[in-house]
Amino acid sequence: MHPFKLPPQILRLVLLTLAIVGSYLVARAFLTPPSFGQYGWYRGDALGLIASRPPVFAGKQACDECHSDILKKLAQDAHKTLSCEACHGVSRQHGDNPDIPPDKATGSHCIRCHEANPARPAWFKQIVVKDHYSGKCTECHMPHQPTQTP
Amino acid sequence: MKTQFSRRSSLLRLGGAIAGLLTISAVRTAKAVVQKVFVSTSAPKGYDPTKHKWLMCIDDNKCIGCGLCVEACKRENGVPEGPYFRTWIERYIIPKPKPGSDRTRGEALVDSPNGGMHGFPEPPLPKDQIEHAFFVPKLCNLCENPPCVQVCPVGATFRAPDGAVLIDPKYCIGCGFCIQACPYGSRFLNPVTKTAEKCTLCYHRITRGLKPACVEICPAEARIFGDLNNLHADDPLQKFYEKNRVQVLKPYLGTEPRVLYAGLDKEVR
Repeated sequence: MHPFKLPPQILRLVLLTLAIVGSYLVARAFLTPPSFGQYGWYRGDALGLIASRPPVFAGKQACDECHSDILKKLAQDAHKTLSCEACHGVSRQHGDNPDIPPDKATGSHCIRCHEANPARPAWFKQIVVKDHYSGKCTECHMPHQPTQTP
Repeated sequence: MKTQFSRRSSLLRLGGAIAGLLTISAVRTAKAVVQKVFVSTSAPKGYDPTKHKWLMCIDDNKCIGCGLCVEACKRENGVPEGPYFRTWIERYIIPKPKPGSDRTRGEALVDSPNGGMHGFPEPPLPKDQIEHAFFVPKLCNLCENPPCVQVCPVGATFRAPDGAVLIDPKYCIGCGFCIQACPYGSRFLNPVTKTAEKCTLCYHRITRGLKPACVEICPAEARIFGDLNNLHADDPLQKFYEKNRVQVLKPYLGTEPRVLYAGLDKEVR
């Protein structure tokens, strides 16, 4: 009986396998981002990265800090569901510095919602503008209290 | 020539290798710490994604098709000009059946000019030929089993613990697999960054306690958004649930969307 001796080719194969697996493990340890696996099979830091974008719209609550009187009026009438920025435009900068007016270009006006369209729900007040009146809407309707006349 | 291996030199080499590895890992840890300190994002602190469960509901009886949500979404998220939308509105027009046909309704006409961003033109049919017409706001359906996440080859898109399906913009390679996989067409390739993009539920807003831009701006309260884990007494989400019977888009796909619709028609896909 010969004593068992690992054949040299097998030894080389084992060493090569260990080297490949080892270099893979080392490479993985260096290349995997530290936050990988924090919440799941992805980079946990990505959540913070996505959330780091500064908001554009200020939100109705921000307007309430200074204009609560108008918001109170608004809440009593049909336009209570409207956000200030829907008509007045993006107001985040205005909130930080009242001298900067809201971005009027991004606001919109009566016709956008109230022009008649068969796809609009029947409960919603609609008009055919050219049959309705040719002047300004605000001559007869108050935007914050649409059921009242000025 | 034969190389001489002494015990001393082998041990020295081994020691050197271990010391090198330790140095590199120490450098790596230091780098991570430095990154944390100096490359700090303005991400809101104290937001724990495991403590929230976001849900979006759409009351389709209320959508008036004004397109304010589409415009607000583009503006809030810096979506490029052109046919790229994170949310959009579709108009369904279902004509009356042709006289003498045995069908209950005609073939539905669906359009979404510029995503409905600037409203909708007059319908292509006279009013007396229309059986039903309505608008349907669309967005990412926040699937529980998102097909887009399964196909991403680099693990750049994922479902966060709070229910938002997000894309890691640094890891996305822009291959477009997820865009093809999404059964709701909610993804697009951003022509500027060349990465996939989609509705994030305005992640930068909801983590700061604000509503998503489309929900904030909707004048008809057609979009209802809330946190299932932190429902308060008169939460609009709770009210919506109590009042309506809800359904999801393409339920037969088993994607389990977290965007619930009330008042949908069978034609809506």
